[in-house]
Amino acid sequence: MLPLFILVPLFCLILLNVPPKAIVKRPAFWLVAALPLVQVFLTAFHPVAVWDEIRNPFNSYFIFNLSVDALSTVLLLSIGIVVFIAALVGRYTLSGETQRFNFFNLLLVAFLGMNATVMVQDIFALYVFIEVTAVASFILIAMQKDKPALEGAFKYIILSVVATVLMLSSIALIVMAAGDTSFAAVSSAIRAYPASVLVKVAVNLFLCGLFIKAGIVPFHGWLPDAYSAAPSSVSVLLAGIITKVSGVYVLIRMVVTVFGIEQSPQAVLMFVGALSIVAGALAAIGQSDFKRMLAYSSVSQVGYIILGLGCGTPLALAGAVFHLFNHALFKTLLFVNAAAVQEKLGTVDMNKMSGLSVKMPVTGATSVVALLSTAGIPPLSGFWSKLIIAMALWQSGQYAYTIIAVLASVLTLAYFLSMQRRVFFGKLQEGLENLTEARLGLILPAIILAVVTVGVGLAFPIVLDKLILPVQNILK
Amino acid sequence: MDNILLLPILVPAVSGILMLLIRKTRGIKEIATFFVATANLLIAVMLFRKELDFTLPWAGFGMEFSLRLYHFSSFILLATGFFGFLIALYCTTFMREKGALNQFYSYLLISIALVNGAVLSDNLVLMLFFWEGLLVTLFGMIFIGGKDSFRTATKAFIIVGISDLCMMVGIGITAHLAGTLTISKINLPVDALGSVAFVLLMIGAISKAGAMPFHSWIPDAAKDAPLPFMAFLPAALEKLLGIYFLARISLDMFKLDASSWLSPLLMIIGCITILLAVMMALIQKDYKKLLSYHAISQVGYMILGIGTCVPVGIVGGLFHMINHALYKCCLFLSGGSVEKQAGTTDLEKLGGLGIKMPVTFGCFIVAAASISGVPPFNGFFSKELIYDGALERGWIFYAMAVAGSFFTAASFLKLGHAAFLGKINDANKSVKEASWPMLIPMVMIASLCVLFGLYNALPLNNLIQPILGEHRLEGHNFSGMPTNAFLVIMTVLVLAAALLNHYLGFKKQGSGIKAVDHIHYAPVLHPIYDRAEKRFFDPFDIGMRVAGWAAKMIWYVDRVIDWLYDGFSVGMTYALSIGIRRAHTGNYSVYIIWSLVGLMVIIFLAVR
Repeated sequence: MLPLFILVPLFCLILLNVPPKAIVKRPAFWLVAALPLVQVFLTAFHPVAVWDEIRNPFNSYFIFNLSVDALSTVLLLSIGIVVFIAALVGRYTLSGETQRFNFFNLLLVAFLGMNATVMVQDIFALYVFIEVTAVASFILIAMQKDKPALEGAFKYIILSVVATVLMLSSIALIVMAAGDTSFAAVSSAIRAYPASVLVKVAVNLFLCGLFIKAGIVPFHGWLPDAYSAAPSSVSVLLAGIITKVSGVYVLIRMVVTVFGIEQSPQAVLMFVGALSIVAGALAAIGQSDFKRMLAYSSVSQVGYIILGLGCGTPLALAGAVFHLFNHALFKTLLFVNAAAVQEKLGTVDMNKMSGLSVKMPVTGATSVVALLSTAGIPPLSGFWSKLIIAMALWQSGQYAYTIIAVLASVLTLAYFLSMQRRVFFGKLQEGLENLTEARLGLILPAIILAVVTVGVGLAFPIVLDKLILPVQNILK
Repeated sequence: MDNILLLPILVPAVSGILMLLIRKTRGIKEIATFFVATANLLIAVMLFRKELDFTLPWAGFGMEFSLRLYHFSSFILLATGFFGFLIALYCTTFMREKGALNQFYSYLLISIALVNGAVLSDNLVLMLFFWEGLLVTLFGMIFIGGKDSFRTATKAFIIVGISDLCMMVGIGITAHLAGTLTISKINLPVDALGSVAFVLLMIGAISKAGAMPFHSWIPDAAKDAPLPFMAFLPAALEKLLGIYFLARISLDMFKLDASSWLSPLLMIIGCITILLAVMMALIQKDYKKLLSYHAISQVGYMILGIGTCVPVGIVGGLFHMINHALYKCCLFLSGGSVEKQAGTTDLEKLGGLGIKMPVTFGCFIVAAASISGVPPFNGFFSKELIYDGALERGWIFYAMAVAGSFFTAASFLKLGHAAFLGKINDANKSVKEASWPMLIPMVMIASLCVLFGLYNALPLNNLIQPILGEHRLEGHNFSGMPTNAFLVIMTVLVLAAALLNHYLGFKKQGSGIKAVDHIHYAPVLHPIYDRAEKRFFDPFDIGMRVAGWAAKMIWYVDRVIDWLYDGFSVGMTYALSIGIRRAHTGNYSVYIIWSLVGLMVIIFLAVR
C-alpha cells in the first residue's frame, strides 16, 4: 500500500504532461489539490502503520523498503496539509496559466519527494529523495526569474551542494563501515564501532549536511534569502514543510533510528538548537521585510525542535515532533497572511503598511491566532508543544536551556507583536483607502489553518494521545 | 425538608438580582422589595427555634456548602428579617424622590441574603464567601449615595477589605489547627498559634461590627450614603453579624477564658472604642454623623461585654447587641424623618421640631433614653450587665465604660435639645410629621425598646441566655432588675451628672447645640479635637499617608526595574539584533564560511 503515496503523485505527474497542455492546464489545480487532501484524510482517520503490512504487487518494484511509523504519520499529515494550502495559494497568487501549471507540476514532484523521504528505510534512497525535493524547490524559488529570485535560488543551490557533499561523503564512509545502506544495517554498524573516529566523522558530516538543509544557525545563511525571494506560494511550501521534511525530519530520523540517541552529539544538538532559537529571534526583531522576518522566525522555531531532539527523552521527542506539526500549521498560516498582504499591496515592506486590519479583517485576525500560537500562548497549539519541550528539558536537568527556551518565547512575542502592530493595527496607511480583503482563495486557507490551530490547542489531549505520544515508541 | 434552609438565602438573593432588571418603575420596586422583605421575615419566623442541618458538596477539600440552623443563628436570622422588613417599609416613602438610587433595593435584598448565608454557614470558607459578598453590597450602597460618595465607598472597601483579609488568614490558620473547616466541630485552645488565629478572626469580626480602629468609614458614610443604608447595615445588620461571629469564636470555636491575655485585649479594644468614639460624637454638629459615632461607640460595650469572659458580661454584650440594633436603627430612622421633612440634618439649621413632629420626637426620646442607659429602657439593663462583668474583671474597665455612658447621655441631650427643642427655625415653620410608612417602623422599634426593658426576661430567657447554654450560665438568670445596687446608683448618678452638665452648658452658652462646648474647647481637648476633625487620627488616612511614602519609594525602585526592562534589555536586544543583521551580508561565500566553520568545530568536538 505504501508505495501508492509515491506512485500516485508520479502517475498524476505523467497524466498532466502526456496529453496536450491546453486540455490539462485547467484541471491541474483540482488534481494537485485533491491528492494532498486525500492524504490528510487517510492519515488523520486511518492508522497508516497497519498499511505497512498489507502486501501489494508494487512492493517488489522497489529496491528499498518503505515503512511508516508514528513519526512518519505526523509528517505525512503535515505534508498533506501544507501542500494543499500551497496549491490553493498558488492558484490565487501566481499570474499566467503556464506559470501556474509549472508550479503545480513542481509541487507534485516536491510532494512525492517528501512523501518518499518520510517513508524510505534506506540511507541512500533517503538522500535521493531529499535531492528530488530540493531540485523541485530550486526551480520553484527561481520561478519568477527576477534578480532576487535567482539570487535566492542560487544561494540555496550553493549551500545545498555543500550539504550534498557532506551527506554523500558521510554515506561513502558509512558504506565502508556497514557494507549496506539500509537503516538497520547502518544502525547496527554504528553501534558496533562506537569509538571509531571514522564513524564519528561520518555521523557528524551527515548531521552538518542536515543542519544546512534545516537552516540551523550557523548553517542557515541561504534560508532568509530563499524564503523572501520565492513567490508566496513557494514560501508557504518551503517554510511550512520542505525544510522541515528534508532537514528536520531526516535529522530526527537519523538521530533516533539510525545513529541512536546515545551515539549522537546531544550537546551539539542542544547548543545549535538554543543558538538558533536566540539568534533567529534576535534577527527577526530587526527585520522590516514581512517574509524575511517570518524566515528568521522559522529559524528560531526549528531551534525549539532541535533542542527537544537533543534532549533525547521520550517526552522531549514527542514535544519536538508536536512542535514540528504545529510549526507546519502556524508558519504556513503566517506565510498565507503574508501572501494575502503581498497580493493586495504588492510589497512586503512593513514600513509601508499600517492599520490593514480595518480593510483586511480576516487576514489580521488569523495572523493574531498564528502569532499567539507561535509565541506559545495558551490554549493555542503552540503553547502545548513548547510546554512539553520545556517540561522535558527541566525534567532532564537542562535548567539553563529551559530558561533560554522560555525567555526566547518573550522575544518571539516581541517581534510578532511589533509586526502585528506595524502591519495590521493602528491607523490605516494613507493611500490605502481602497484596499479590500484578499479574495476567498487566500482567506479560505487562512481560516482553515486558524481553525485547526485553535482546534488542536483545545482538543490537545486527543491530538497528543492519538498522534503525538505514539512517537515515543520509535525510541524503543 | 432540610433544604428549606436555602430559602432565607435564595429568596432575597434571587429577587434582589431580578430587581436589577426592573427599570424606571419606582413605585413597583419599593412595593416588591417590601413584599420580599416580608416573605423573608415570615421564613425567619417559621424557622425560629428549629434545629436543622443542610449539606451540599461544594468546592471539595473540606469546603462544603453546609448550613446549620440552631438557636443562635435562628435568632440572628429573625433579627435580620425584622430589620430588613422595617427598612423596606420605611423606604417605600423615604426613597421615593431619590430616583438615582434604583440599585439600592437590589443591594438591600442581596445584603439580607448574604447576612442570612453568613449566619447559617457551618463552614468557614462558605461563611467567608457570604461575608466577603457583603463587601460588594456595602460598596455599592455607599457608592450610589452621591457625587462624592466614591471616595467614601473606596475607603470602606479598603478598610473592610483589609480586615477581611486578616480574617481569611485567620480562617486558614484555624483550619490548619483544627483539621476541619466545619465551624461546629472546631474547638481550639488559645495557645501560641491559636491566639494568632483568634486575633485575626477577631479583627474580621470587630471590623465588621465597626469597632476602632476599623471605624473611620462609618462617619463618612453617614454623610454620603442614603440614610436607610446607615440604619440598615452599620447600625443593625453588620453589628449583628460582627458580634455574632465574635461570640461564635470566643464561645465555641476557641476555648477562651478569663485567664487568657486575649480577654483583656478585647476589653481594652472595647473601652477605647467606647471612649474615643463617644468623645467624637459629643462634638458633632450633624444629626447623622453624631449617630454614626455612637454606632461605633456602642460596639465597644458589646466587645467589652464579650471580652470579660464571665457569663454576666457575655449575656450583657449579646443583649446589648440586639438592644443597640433596635435603638440605633430607630435613631437613624428618626434622623431620616427629620431629613425628609426638614430637608437637612445640620443641627445649626434645626430646632423646635418636637412640636411639629411629635411621634418622631417621642420615638427619639425612647431610643435616646435607651442608648444612654436610662432605666427602665432596654439599654439600661444590658449596660448594667456589662458593668457588672467589667467590674468583676477590674475597676478601670468599669470606670471607662461608665465614663462612656456619661458622654453618651450628654451628647444625646445635646442632640435632642438642638433638633427638637429650642426656637424653631424660620425655614422649618411649615414642617409636618412624617407619613405613616416611616413612622410605623420607628414606633415598632421604640415599643420593642420599652418591652425589652420592662419585660427583659422575654429576650433574655428566650434569645440570649440559650446561646451560652446551661453549663456556662452556672445556674444564673440575669433577667429582672439588676441585683447590684452599687451599679444602679452609680448609673443614676452619672446620668444626673450628664443632665447637670447639659444644664450648666446650656446656661453658659445659651443654646442646646453649644451645651457641650466647654468640653469641646477645654484646654487639652481642644487641639486634639481640632486634629481629629481634620482626620489627623483617622487610621485610614494615616495608612494612606504611609502608603503614599511607600509608593514614592517603590516608584524610584520601579524606575530602576523599568530601566532594566524597557531600557537595558530592549537596548541589548536591538544591539544584538543589529549585529546579527549586519553579519548577514547577503554574500553567499560568507554563509558557506559559516557553515564550514561550524562543520569543523563539530567534527573537532566529535573526534577530540
